[in-house]
Amino acid sequence: MKWVNYKMLLLTGLAAAAVGCSSIDCPVENTVAVHYLVCNSDGTELALTDSLSVESKNFHGNPIVLNRLSGSATFSLPISYSHPEDVMTFTFFNDSVSRSDTVWLKKNDIPHFESVDCSAAFFHELTDVRHTTHAIDSLVIKNRTVDYDTRTVHLHLYPKSSD
Amino acid sequence: MTPGRYIYIYIRRAAISVLLLLAGLQTAQAQLKFFSLQKDSIPVFRGFAVSFDLVGFTMMQLSDQGQYEAALRINLHDEWFPIVEAGIGRANHDDDPVTGIRYKTSAPYFRIGIDRNLLRKKHGPYRMYAGLRYAFTKYKVDLSRDVFPDPVWQWDTSFGVAGEPCSQHWLEVALGVDATILGPLHLGWSVRYKRRLAHDDGIIGRTWYVPGYGKEGSSRLGGTFNVIIDI
Repeated sequence: MKWVNYKMLLLTGLAAAAVGCSSIDCPVENTVAVHYLVCNSDGTELALTDSLSVESKNFHGNPIVLNRLSGSATFSLPISYSHPEDVMTFTFFNDSVSRSDTVWLKKNDIPHFESVDCSAAFFHELTDVRHTTHAIDSLVIKNRTVDYDTRTVHLHLYPKSSD
Repeated sequence: MTPGRYIYIYIRRAAISVLLLLAGLQTAQAQLKFFSLQKDSIPVFRGFAVSFDLVGFTMMQLSDQGQYEAALRINLHDEWFPIVEAGIGRANHDDDPVTGIRYKTSAPYFRIGIDRNLLRKKHGPYRMYAGLRYAFTKYKVDLSRDVFPDPVWQWDTSFGVAGEPCSQHWLEVALGVDATILGPLHLGWSVRYKRRLAHDDGIIGRTWYVPGYGKEGSSRLGGTFNVIIDI
């Protein structure tokens, strides 16, 4: 029966090694942001010729979340973890004038958990967007779900044509 | 399509059917041989055995998760061993030092399956098993974190859910050994390869510890060390 004992010893070692294995699986793409696409009135992409800055509004002040973007049709903005409505100021600059609009973005916040080893995160469902109309013609929600997906455009921004 | 073409298709289908039938008969014969019992004077029903897992118990004492697990096994001719395993799995991960997340769950789980003794000498003091299990659990998760400031917007943020209902079904392939120590007392190891069939992690995205299955995202391998008593 010696060969059986050797096999038992081997299997004992394998079992101990198997039980000891573990790993941490936090996602590499772990930024949750709202992705905007600037569009012409016919829906085609429009690279900004004016520069665009965006300020968020909270009780600490108005930190800048996008600074002087120009020449691009897409941009991403952070979204608050658990505040029911984000308020932002979009300011368009050209050589002679700047025009600002306030945007209110309503959402539902869903806590998202991967593991106790990964930081707390929130996914969101956009429910409504409102804005003033000095420089923005309209803002339209295209995809309501905001998560780790960096390729999905959530909002189409239609600016007013420059005079 | 011409009648000749129809006849050709008919003959081809009939020939394929006959070949498949012959192959099926051979496979069925092989299966019957696999499932048949050795012919000797030992009775088919050899009794019951109860067992307790010490790995889960030790994990429960030394770490923030583990399980209390017992099993009831039927011995059929020392060859086949239908088995039912039941336990309570618990996790109480309190205030992670890096992420600050607390995770708590406690729920029963059940497995049902069968083992086969692979040794040629079936009735000896040693056994080597290969087996399969179907397992199921339904559990609730409490998840929380202390209030923290949103990194961009600075609003105070609370994170968590309470009593989130979750469930999971999975399969386990088991390889194990069992040795008679004294009288009805046996000791044995088993190594498990686990594969999820279906799971519902609730609204929170994923769960971390599943009772009876272990930590998600970690190795699919697991193990038990059993104290077994023949009854």
